[in-house]
Amino acid sequence: MIKIKNVSKIYTINKNNTVTALNNIDLNFKEGELIVLKGASGSGKSTILSLIAALSKPTTGEVIVDDKRISKLPDRFASLYRRENIGFIFQKYNLIPTLSVQKNILLPLVPSNPDEQEAQKKLEIVMKKFNISHKKDAIVRNLSGGEQQRVAIARAHINDPKIIIADEPTANLDEKLSIHFIEILKELKSTNKTIIVATHDPLFFDLDFVDKVIEVYNGNIVS
Amino acid sequence: MILSPEVLSILILDVIFLFFSLIALILSIKIFLNWDINSTSKTQYKLEKQSFLTATIIKYIFAIKLPLFLFFIFTLDKISSVLTGAMCAAGVVDATQYGTYLFILKILNIYIFGFWLLIHHLDIKDEHLSLTKAKFGFFIFAFFIFVSEIILELTMFLAIDIDKMVSCCGTLYSNSATSYISNIFLIDTPILLTLFYGNFIVIVISYFMKKKYIFTLANFFFLIISIISIISFFGTYIYELPTHHCPFCFLQKDYYYVGYFIYTSLFLGTFNGLATGFINKFNISMIFNIIFTLLISAYPIIFYIKNGVWL
Repeated sequence: MIKIKNVSKIYTINKNNTVTALNNIDLNFKEGELIVLKGASGSGKSTILSLIAALSKPTTGEVIVDDKRISKLPDRFASLYRRENIGFIFQKYNLIPTLSVQKNILLPLVPSNPDEQEAQKKLEIVMKKFNISHKKDAIVRNLSGGEQQRVAIARAHINDPKIIIADEPTANLDEKLSIHFIEILKELKSTNKTIIVATHDPLFFDLDFVDKVIEVYNGNIVS
Repeated sequence: MILSPEVLSILILDVIFLFFSLIALILSIKIFLNWDINSTSKTQYKLEKQSFLTATIIKYIFAIKLPLFLFFIFTLDKISSVLTGAMCAAGVVDATQYGTYLFILKILNIYIFGFWLLIHHLDIKDEHLSLTKAKFGFFIFAFFIFVSEIILELTMFLAIDIDKMVSCCGTLYSNSATSYISNIFLIDTPILLTLFYGNFIVIVISYFMKKKYIFTLANFFFLIISIISIISFFGTYIYELPTHHCPFCFLQKDYYYVGYFIYTSLFLGTFNGLATGFINKFNISMIFNIIFTLLISAYPIIFYIKNGVWL
């Protein structure tokens, strides 16, 4: 489903200063797999996620998702691809703090301008699924870290994306909430979503439902 | 040389255009020579980013150039007051040997840039950017015509001698004039009007039958016949003077700036009509062509209703 072929990513800071984030890597992920990318900060995990999400383009090589060369997509088509296929869960949640829970969750639907009833139906389903219905009118900045994380997951899920990308999703959570998040991941995996998690949290490394643990070190795939 | 604030503004903008269009040219050549959408090399990814930058530069040049054409005509009209003999922009155009060519080049460039935008619009709608190479190849060609316009513009303003007496539009656009413009008056009015309205009917029929190539061709001829008809026939009814044929005077305040509406509707109608050969612009072209035809036809009809005679 996801193929990363000979991909390098070099960030140019100035003429004499470049950072090689990824060095000629090859990866293959199948549909419905849960993949954990592990490695220290700056190893290149987030760069892999941003390439799969078509948030950035490689310096060389290509990324193919469902036979579509997404690294070659022009910006407007990349946005469309993201809107239809990708759900994001970020380390700092990236919610809009002044909006309510339901408005934050509904945000990914705004560009496609869906029927209001249909949107409300989807909203009810995801809020129930991630146990956040009771807080639907609460302003996001007043929620706890765990609740904000559930809102972020619900938002990632509302478009029913094929791929869910989570970048350091438990970095701001305590162990109890992290375990709860892992349970949610397990549930998502059972719905045949492809899930890619970039983390250095050891809780993820020995889970029985994880299909692959890939170690990234200095822009290279170690194992 | 004449250096009014308006001329100075145009010349400063020309320098800015030249600078940015040179950047666009260099990048366009690189893109045109090396573009390979299937490649996953570093060069290709860099070209993809540069193509976005280049297209943005060209779009902004056009965005400023379009209203600048109207400002150019306004400037010619304004400086006509300091040239002895000139009554409107026509006198300034005729003040040097470059004016007419510059005017034609300016109109040509608006059409060329318009077509570039059209190709660009089609290109960015395509996931595989299949027109990118053609788009930038076309800009390389357009650049040289664009630069010719800038050089000619500078030359024209440098060549204007405010101490020299120039001809007024009444002389330039008269039956007795010896220039090539006077050939227009050799065409009989009934024949000219038959061609004008006949051409318009062809446009309407091809619109309803959706015959895009006939529609495009008819629009091309409509542009030429309309300009000739304005000079030879319709203009006289705007001025209500049988001997005054100037295509510029009705751009002035005395005629409520109606010329800007007439020319804008004509250019928008025919440009979109010509574009119909590549992309469906039937409706927008038809709307502006109808506006133009109604507007221009209203003058002789109103004159006849008011006076009971034709000029």
